[in-house]
Amino acid sequence: MVMMLIVGFSGSLFFLKADDMEDRVREISHKLRCPTCQAMSVKESDAGLSLNMKNKIREMLQEGKSEEEILTFFEERYGEWILRSPKKEGFNLFLWLLPGFLIVIASILLFRSLLKRSRDIEQKKLDPLSENEKKLIDQELNHYQSD
Amino acid sequence: MSKRSFIFLGILLGCSILAIMLYGLFFASNPKEIPSAQIGLKAKPFTVTTFDGKKISLDNFIGKPVIVNFWASWCISCRQEAHILEAAHQKFTPKGAVFIGIAINDTREASLAFIKRYGKTYLLAPDDKLGSISLDYGVTAVPETFFIDKNGIIINKILGATGRATLEEFLNEQL
Repeated sequence: MVMMLIVGFSGSLFFLKADDMEDRVREISHKLRCPTCQAMSVKESDAGLSLNMKNKIREMLQEGKSEEEILTFFEERYGEWILRSPKKEGFNLFLWLLPGFLIVIASILLFRSLLKRSRDIEQKKLDPLSENEKKLIDQELNHYQSD
Repeated sequence: MSKRSFIFLGILLGCSILAIMLYGLFFASNPKEIPSAQIGLKAKPFTVTTFDGKKISLDNFIGKPVIVNFWASWCISCRQEAHILEAAHQKFTPKGAVFIGIAINDTREASLAFIKRYGKTYLLAPDDKLGSISLDYGVTAVPETFFIDKNGIIINKILGATGRATLEEFLNEQL
């Protein structure tokens, strides 16, 4: 009975470990471009070369290689384009920072525009009435009073 | 922000989008012309057993120009270039060139049938199950052909069927 429990427990551990491995393979293969059908990731692609790459990732993980080592392995052989996200260095840093930078600039411009508009409204409230405006108000008042 | 500024930004955005579209249509890279990361580097060594049982290593051919062609029996373009490669092999191997064909993601039976059908006689071997050699060379599809000079350096790569002129130009230069 005890032996059965031990065997069962070991078996479930094995499947958990295998699932972890496959999760890692999927995670890493998602970061690589399919060399044949380049609009897809290696994870999504069933092309022969993508299957080879997935198997290679699995083999390297079993050898204890890190994700960085695996991605570097493929980058050395295919070039930087094999990575689906540009590396955060050099000119690519500009691509990573540009969207955030544009959002900050747009927010500043919007804030300044709203601030200027509210100041303009406040300023109009403080300005005295012009002669023409006074005349118009008087005319309207006379009109209502005569009614 | 004034109305004029909004109009200006709108025109700028529109022009940017148009410029990107035009670039994509006329100037974006042809996938066939993606440069190999291996060009200029020493060709990665490999050892294979040919379909007729002979063990060969790339390192044994230093001092000779080598054509390494990745192919598969199910590949249509490989059929187009089969005669061209065989003809080049017949012409240049006696002068010192080496032709190696590596079959990838293929069954032995299908590969042998292809070899027989197209009369290929140069060194032909299967890649391993992981496709290790094709991965080492950064192969993106088949057929893909690597031109290795006498010093073992990859100087060119062709994706798609290799042309006679390209082969002859390289081998005439080297031999």
